[in-house]
Amino acid sequence: MKEWKQVLTEEVLPKVSKPLRYLGNEYNAVKKDRETVKLHSLFAFPDVYEVGMSHLGLQIIYGLVNEQPEYSMERVFAPWVDFEAELRTRGIPLFSLESMTPIAEFDCIGFTLQYEMSYSNILNMLDLGRIPLLARERGDEYPLIMAGGPCAFNPEPIADFFDFFVLGEGEEVILELFKIMAEHRGRRNGKQEKRTLLKELARIQGVYVPSFYEAKYSQGKFTGMKVIEPEAAPRVVKRVVRDLDAAYFPLKPIVPYLEVVHDRMMVEVLRGCTRGCRFCQAGVLYRPVRERSKELLVEQAEQLSQNTGHNEISMTSLSTSDYTCVEPLLKEVLNRFAGRNIGVSLPSLRVDSFSVNLAKEVQRVRKTGLTFAPEAGTQRLRDVINKNVTEENMLQVAEAVFREGWTQLKLYFMLGLPTETFADLDGIAELAAKVLQRGREILRETGSKKSPSVTVSVSSFVPKPHTPFQWEAQDSLETLQEKQRYLRTKIKDKRIVYHYHEAELSFLEAVFAKGDRRLGRVLIEAWRRGCRFDGWSEHFRYETWLEAFREVGIVPEQIANIPIDTDSPLPWDHLESGVQKKYLLREREKAYQVATTGDCRFTSCAVCGICQDLDVALHLRSASNSKAILHPTER
Amino acid sequence: MLLCIQYSKEEEARFLSHLDLMTAMERAFRRAGLPLAFSEGFNPHPRVSFASALAVGVTSEAEYLDVQLLEEIPADEVLQRLNKVLPCGLCVRGAVPVTKRTESLMALINLARYRVEVPFHSGDGVSSASTSDGALYPPVEDVAGMQEKINKVISDVLATTTYLVQRKSKKGLREVDIRPGIRELTGRLKEGGAESILLLEMAVQIGSDGNVKPEEVVGMIGALSPFHLGNNLRIHRLGLYIETNGHDWSPLELS
Repeated sequence: MKEWKQVLTEEVLPKVSKPLRYLGNEYNAVKKDRETVKLHSLFAFPDVYEVGMSHLGLQIIYGLVNEQPEYSMERVFAPWVDFEAELRTRGIPLFSLESMTPIAEFDCIGFTLQYEMSYSNILNMLDLGRIPLLARERGDEYPLIMAGGPCAFNPEPIADFFDFFVLGEGEEVILELFKIMAEHRGRRNGKQEKRTLLKELARIQGVYVPSFYEAKYSQGKFTGMKVIEPEAAPRVVKRVVRDLDAAYFPLKPIVPYLEVVHDRMMVEVLRGCTRGCRFCQAGVLYRPVRERSKELLVEQAEQLSQNTGHNEISMTSLSTSDYTCVEPLLKEVLNRFAGRNIGVSLPSLRVDSFSVNLAKEVQRVRKTGLTFAPEAGTQRLRDVINKNVTEENMLQVAEAVFREGWTQLKLYFMLGLPTETFADLDGIAELAAKVLQRGREILRETGSKKSPSVTVSVSSFVPKPHTPFQWEAQDSLETLQEKQRYLRTKIKDKRIVYHYHEAELSFLEAVFAKGDRRLGRVLIEAWRRGCRFDGWSEHFRYETWLEAFREVGIVPEQIANIPIDTDSPLPWDHLESGVQKKYLLREREKAYQVATTGDCRFTSCAVCGICQDLDVALHLRSASNSKAILHPTER
Repeated sequence: MLLCIQYSKEEEARFLSHLDLMTAMERAFRRAGLPLAFSEGFNPHPRVSFASALAVGVTSEAEYLDVQLLEEIPADEVLQRLNKVLPCGLCVRGAVPVTKRTESLMALINLARYRVEVPFHSGDGVSSASTSDGALYPPVEDVAGMQEKINKVISDVLATTTYLVQRKSKKGLREVDIRPGIRELTGRLKEGGAESILLLEMAVQIGSDGNVKPEEVVGMIGALSPFHLGNNLRIHRLGLYIETNGHDWSPLELS
């Protein structure tokens, strides 16, 4: 008789793809003696290891919790399909990486909700862990199942599966939660009384216990949320880190053995972005902008390099070229690391020549491709979405890029934006052609023998909660596909590579982004029929999803493709990002008037409500530099 | 300075691919603050060369690499500093400055020793975690008799003069005679534990002049014997050698 762990190491791991995904003995992984801690928690990432291990949030929360002697945190990722098949045929429960403990034996499991299309993996992981899917069917003996991350700002489609959600920045609140959980168990011989515990947790700002609220419907329409538990707040407000310098940052992150998607060390330069693109959810959820000081960033980079050995350092944030000290920071980091053959990368570049210069600077060690996101093809539509980029900006960027020796440029656009017409699609093709033409001129001028190429990557607009476009309809699937085909006919030059994302996936993403609690049953049906890893095109089964919708009797088009009245209640109205609805409505009005709104870092405050309501403030590290960054070509 | 380093790849690290291992080593050198020399060019890479790639799932107690460092650092200190920062399952065991040798490890190493554990069971079927695993030979009662059978098979294998195996290459299947590359082979029954295991030790040719894989030797034993051998082997490399004039030298001795 073999124990399952032995079967696993001797028979299963040798035959599955990438067994290192399931081992958990990477450098800097933390293994604690189970007996010495008061609370055992598990960070669950509902995608494959290589994706999850690229996520900074995991390293932050994991590092912070494990630095506390009284708590432990382990990890689990969605098992890849081959490994899942082995677990199921051999009857092995899903287990944690660090100690190979079945996930049902933890006190608390926290999922991160980065993307709507990972929901099927959450169900699958719970099931593989032999944990009942529905929160109401889980007794006190099961782990408390919680979740955080951007999708927690409309978690209604998955509300039935979770005991509670946390809104906002996890490092700000996680230890408060664990203290309550540990004390609760401490008073009860290590056991929990779930309902009592949830009441205790609901008093903490940022905690949303969905079972304390009842969704009301009338004639098939969502009509509002009713508080059914006196302890629960009518509105749950997100948590925010005030000072990024004082916040915890992991200086000994886990160093994966496997090559992961972002295989590098990361420093977080700033959090938030107030550029105010009207489709962008992150721009709302992570407000206000808070910068970390240059001195601390340099010190963190130094320690990270000593503790990880990585050969690349990424200066991450939503918009690193907006950092007020970006030039002195880069200069110092490059001087320090170039001699050690450690490269620097910038994940996101603004469309201007200043950013190209930064890119040129950082690529002294290794040169990679450059990507810019004009998002829309005409000035009119870019003004509608408040993407403050002009064609002139884009052509200056092209000029700088090709002059500095790059021969490839990638451009991101979005299809199906509100008010879009076919003229806007023509604009995408024309802009790409102009960029390519500029490239040809420059390369000819510089005597290069290479010919330039431009990649146009097009995704479909998904209206997201808490944005000025949250009331918008998504174009129907047929319209999106027609637009994708139309654009294909408009892009004629062979040196322009055209990619587009699967519209079916964007359609379901819109459904789950905007949907309410009734979608929980659809998820169960889809998962039961085999849906998982929906974000992976080789596993995405659109027809199966449609069957699940039919089975439950929900018409997904009614969620994604019909605009919501601005006075109708929204399923996420009780969840507050700190940005007021009236600001979102104002921005929506301005979109229809093709009027732009300035960035509050450089112009006046647009009164979004975050600083007023949450008692936080814009936190920049250098006032003089921030002005220098404002380019005359930008309005 | 050029250093030749012996390291082990143990149980916890057995699923590292060769690429994973190269990355892990590079990162360990950085963490140890040992200044690696880098190649010139557009995409510089550290000047570390590995003796031989070890297959995924295989452990070893004696792998070798040559590394070019930018500073003179005593070999003992390099070992100490590396062992403090190596991940679980990787350990450096010895290091010497390269003074005599001019050729790469890869060009010189021509012999490998392995220990292979082969379970006596069908092994192809799925065995459940909670029930017995379908061993055809549960713990043997007649140990002496079993050992005799094993001895017979080993001597049969060694008595053959040629044994062809098929290998996939870019041009399709090709036949290779592995018998000349099998230099030593012993086998015994490993007792204790839930299943019976055939424990093999072998010395086989490795390198550019010819390569014999331990799996191929096990396949040969299976073909020439009445045993039903499982296919989940545990392969452990005992060492890599430079064989000249009938003597096996460790790469550290010849550096």
